[in-house]
Amino acid sequence: MSRQKELPLTKRKRARALPYLLIAPAMALFVMFTFYPFIRTILLSFALTNKSGNFTKWVGVDNWVRILTKNSFWSVVGITLKMAAVNLICTMLVAMVFALLATKKVKFSKAYQTMYALPMAIASSPAAAIFLFIYRQKNGLLNNILGTNISWLTEKPTAIWAVCAMTIWMHIGVSFIFLLVGFRNVPEDLLESAWLDGAGPMQRIRHIILPMASPQIFFVVFMNIASSFKTFAQIKLLTQGGPANSTKTLIYYIYENAIINGRFETACVQAIFLFLLIFLFTRIQFALENKVVHYQ
Amino acid sequence: MMTARQKKKVKSGTSFAVKVILGIIFISPLIVGLAFSVQSEAALVTYPLKLITENPTIQNYLEIFAKVPLLAYLKNSVIVCFFAILGQIVFSSLAAYAFVYFEFPFKRQLFSLVLITMMIPGEVVVITNYVTIQNMGLINSYLALILPSLVSGTSIFLMRQYYLTLPRDFKEAATQDGCGDMGYLFRIATPLSIPTISSLAVYLFVQIYNQFFWPLLVTNKDTMRTIQIGISFLTTSDIISYGQILAGAVVAIVPSVIIYIFGQDYIIKGMTAGGVKG
Repeated sequence: MSRQKELPLTKRKRARALPYLLIAPAMALFVMFTFYPFIRTILLSFALTNKSGNFTKWVGVDNWVRILTKNSFWSVVGITLKMAAVNLICTMLVAMVFALLATKKVKFSKAYQTMYALPMAIASSPAAAIFLFIYRQKNGLLNNILGTNISWLTEKPTAIWAVCAMTIWMHIGVSFIFLLVGFRNVPEDLLESAWLDGAGPMQRIRHIILPMASPQIFFVVFMNIASSFKTFAQIKLLTQGGPANSTKTLIYYIYENAIINGRFETACVQAIFLFLLIFLFTRIQFALENKVVHYQ
Repeated sequence: MMTARQKKKVKSGTSFAVKVILGIIFISPLIVGLAFSVQSEAALVTYPLKLITENPTIQNYLEIFAKVPLLAYLKNSVIVCFFAILGQIVFSSLAAYAFVYFEFPFKRQLFSLVLITMMIPGEVVVITNYVTIQNMGLINSYLALILPSLVSGTSIFLMRQYYLTLPRDFKEAATQDGCGDMGYLFRIATPLSIPTISSLAVYLFVQIYNQFFWPLLVTNKDTMRTIQIGISFLTTSDIISYGQILAGAVVAIVPSVIIYIFGQDYIIKGMTAGGVKG
């Protein structure tokens, strides 16, 4: 009797534990590689560290004060924001044109659709190898085409644009795909009735396609800002933050402080600052979303 | 005189041609990489550069394979991709299944934690993770390369969105036929979600294969480098000419381009599912 009663009970117990067991592996990894390092980064931003990045001594807000009062830090933040703005505007413009061109599915439209998105699949390091060849001063491709002799990546006015150009090229694909999906979701009959009412292509784009796809457009804008903040490889591979720090962004500064200079506490302050910056833009996104975006 | 139909045909033909030409201009850096990777070093230093050469050579490819362990780099990348993708699919399926089909205490809070991970970019914690891996003595190991990529909030979210679309009756019917919870997951939910899993896998492949920051930090031994890191070190080497660098770059690009071209519908689905409301 008692054994018969016991069995369903342990079974029920097991069933109650099951969902936790299913979540456990994912949670363990999150704790180890997201939550723990995040909290540790916050804590270390109030401490001193040794050369290998481990805690030595609490110093309160000293690190924060030291970094936030430095002009060089704010100029890095300024460059980060400037690059994000340039990347955002150019990426959006090109991706928008590509998406409008590719919205209508015709025979073989896959051909150009594939090309417009292709750089998305290209890694930054081989791409950088090609762009270094394009930008190099001695018989570089760009100098060949323009008949110039400019060292694009080591001169101050051009370096930032050269880095942005590569980033934009690499980011257009993802934006294009999101916009394309949005534009293709616009109901066909809506466009047709507008056409019957005499709306030209530009009017249809302005008054129907763009408003109807506003969730995607909105999403892509903020996605581009965030991915620009996180762009590291291009800067590491093309300019190392130079010339004269003119392409040094926050993420590169973090890398430089931690890995090259062994100043982990400085890197931690900057990493948390980067987090707050991205977080701020996410908040703005959520706050604006309900006001700007049109949901069907 | 052209008929209206012919006119229309010409018009759509021109618009198609314009769109394709735009596409070719857009991917021209890739064409540049390919075109100059088959030219001799002498051609690359001669002014003006010629996109098409009369005597293409595969010498650069032969030499880059001889000079650097490109195959080892590729092998490392494949190993990392395989285990990271497998891990993400298994762990995210399990977790998503629990969130969709079970009611349990703290479910909401635990799911919030998953969403919070999506608010913390990997770039913010990358330095501290590097210190962790270093303290564990895992620098230059596959474990170091794979561990942080074994799970992501995005993949759990994606699998959850899919399970939510499965009719509840399926589970009830299966339970009545004596199918247990795990049996339902492995025998019914997982086979049904193959398209979603494929999208996730292709999307993750392109993402993980192309990783740069993390593998740069946790490897410093040449034989442990992934292809992306290996290629990035070519440009700083003195013994490697530019044609050879471009050949190496082309080799690194080929796998992800092939996967992209054949899997693009899956990638698009994986990217956009759950990405935006509306």
